[in-house]
Amino acid sequence: MSTVAAMRHVRGFDVARPLSIGTLVFLMLPLVFLPLASIFIFGTSNGLDKFWAALMQPEAIFALKLSMATSFWATVFNVIFGLFAAYVLSRYNFWGRNALIVTISLPTAIPTAVAGFALLLLWGPYGTLGRLFTPHGFQIMFTAGAIILANIFVTFPLAFGVIKPVFDTMSRSLEEASATIGATRWQTFWHVTLPSLRGAIVSGALLTFARAVGEFGSTILVSGNLAGRTQTAPLYIFAKFNEGQIEAANAIAIVLALFSFLIFSVLFFARDWLDVD
Amino acid sequence: MKESLEKAIFPAFAAKWKQQHGQVLMFQSSFAGSETVTNQILRGAPADIAILSIERDVQRLQKDGFVTADWHALPAHGIVNKTPFVIIVRQGNPKGIRDFSDLAKPGIKLIHPDPISSGGAQWSILAIYGSELKKSETEQDGGDKVRALQMLRAIWKNVISTPGSAREARTTFELGNGDALITYELEGLLMKEAKAPIEIVTPQATIFSEHPAVVIDKSVTAAKRPIVDAFMQYLWSDEAQQAFVQFHFYSTTNDAFNQANAAFGHIEMPFTIDYFHGWDKAYPEVIEGIFRDQVQRK
Repeated sequence: MSTVAAMRHVRGFDVARPLSIGTLVFLMLPLVFLPLASIFIFGTSNGLDKFWAALMQPEAIFALKLSMATSFWATVFNVIFGLFAAYVLSRYNFWGRNALIVTISLPTAIPTAVAGFALLLLWGPYGTLGRLFTPHGFQIMFTAGAIILANIFVTFPLAFGVIKPVFDTMSRSLEEASATIGATRWQTFWHVTLPSLRGAIVSGALLTFARAVGEFGSTILVSGNLAGRTQTAPLYIFAKFNEGQIEAANAIAIVLALFSFLIFSVLFFARDWLDVD
Repeated sequence: MKESLEKAIFPAFAAKWKQQHGQVLMFQSSFAGSETVTNQILRGAPADIAILSIERDVQRLQKDGFVTADWHALPAHGIVNKTPFVIIVRQGNPKGIRDFSDLAKPGIKLIHPDPISSGGAQWSILAIYGSELKKSETEQDGGDKVRALQMLRAIWKNVISTPGSAREARTTFELGNGDALITYELEGLLMKEAKAPIEIVTPQATIFSEHPAVVIDKSVTAAKRPIVDAFMQYLWSDEAQQAFVQFHFYSTTNDAFNQANAAFGHIEMPFTIDYFHGWDKAYPEVIEGIFRDQVQRK
């Protein structure tokens, strides 16, 4: 004890501060910083014009657009669903409520490849749902729809997880006041409840979107992985890596890395605005 | 490959060796995709013999000095067995698929492994392209490359999924996806053996995938050398070749063995990688130059 206490203040200088910060950065170096740095180094090692050319490949642009579009729709669905689920599960107490909460959270722990083949089994021609639709010429697997379904599954708990705690802690007095002045339930929800959830909704959406854009394990199984047709950005990166085109793979990886950097910066720096109540 | 070796060839050779030399042999074998096996050997996995599904992998082993002897000097140019590429369809052949050209029809859904990551898929591309080229030769000297390219393009339009390997493609197909799958006849016969509700359609012209067996000279010790050499010779013996045929491979030494297997389909115009002047030419010219640059990037 006495040595620690002695170490803490050497001539009025707190040694623990630079030491702990240094240790933190040092530990993060091989674990996070260097892997990220290598993406940028390898992606631009042949010059910025090569990087730009790799980015402008029609399949690369297509893959990025497909990732954005499928992640967008999965986010729209999961935010609306998360809002609804959070509302139901925090307002009503019923038998099986906890089981539902646990089930919604499950996709976080399930390997994404498992999510992929579960969807294949379900929607495939022999699957429970696929059997109903396939005879009518409706096939969702190996289309953009399958990518959205996979994204919905793997990001299912994220928006819900952010929105529900806000619901739980929300003061109900405003809602009650709104009801007493004659507002309908819908008006109360729209004008009173929803605005106070603004921060949670935006954070939930950004988290969901960021996670969906990077999704690989389930997408590779359900999408069909056809360049220019059903290949998302992460699948494109993997395909280019397999082809030995490391620069092309890294060029897209840089875009995704910058993109998630942007999303998490927004989440971090707009915290104050998001938390406004 | 696993079954034919473990159930027939290893025990038969071990019995023979014991009888002749009194030594008991133990085989240690590991089975994986050709590319994976090659990578493992290149990274130092201790192997004396490798049987690969694609000649390019042998070339990789040669390049790094793992295979130093002239492997073509072995019987049948070092090819231990072979199997043609065929089309697998659903039982009863509901879409009436009789040849590669039927796969180009609108509305057909095809499962095809990814030619970038799967050796089997590269064979399949050569099978489709070569088949059309070969057929066009009967009408035009030297064949019609444009027609072959158009066929490949039309078929690729119908591909709904490109799994990473031939085995993964089979699983996807067995889950009920797609109307057809292009794969090794060997794989089709194994599916039938497993009672899968499928039929094998043998194209009029198709390629034979040929499988080289090579000695990993770098890791064979002087003490093991006689055994390894004797085993290599044994692989091309009538006994081993018949065992391969029994396990759905074509023999490379004696066509009478193949004729005797009623499960093999009749191929009017068979061809091999030699039709494209070897993998050295086929890979850059057909897989990269035609498939990647003119079919996939369309």
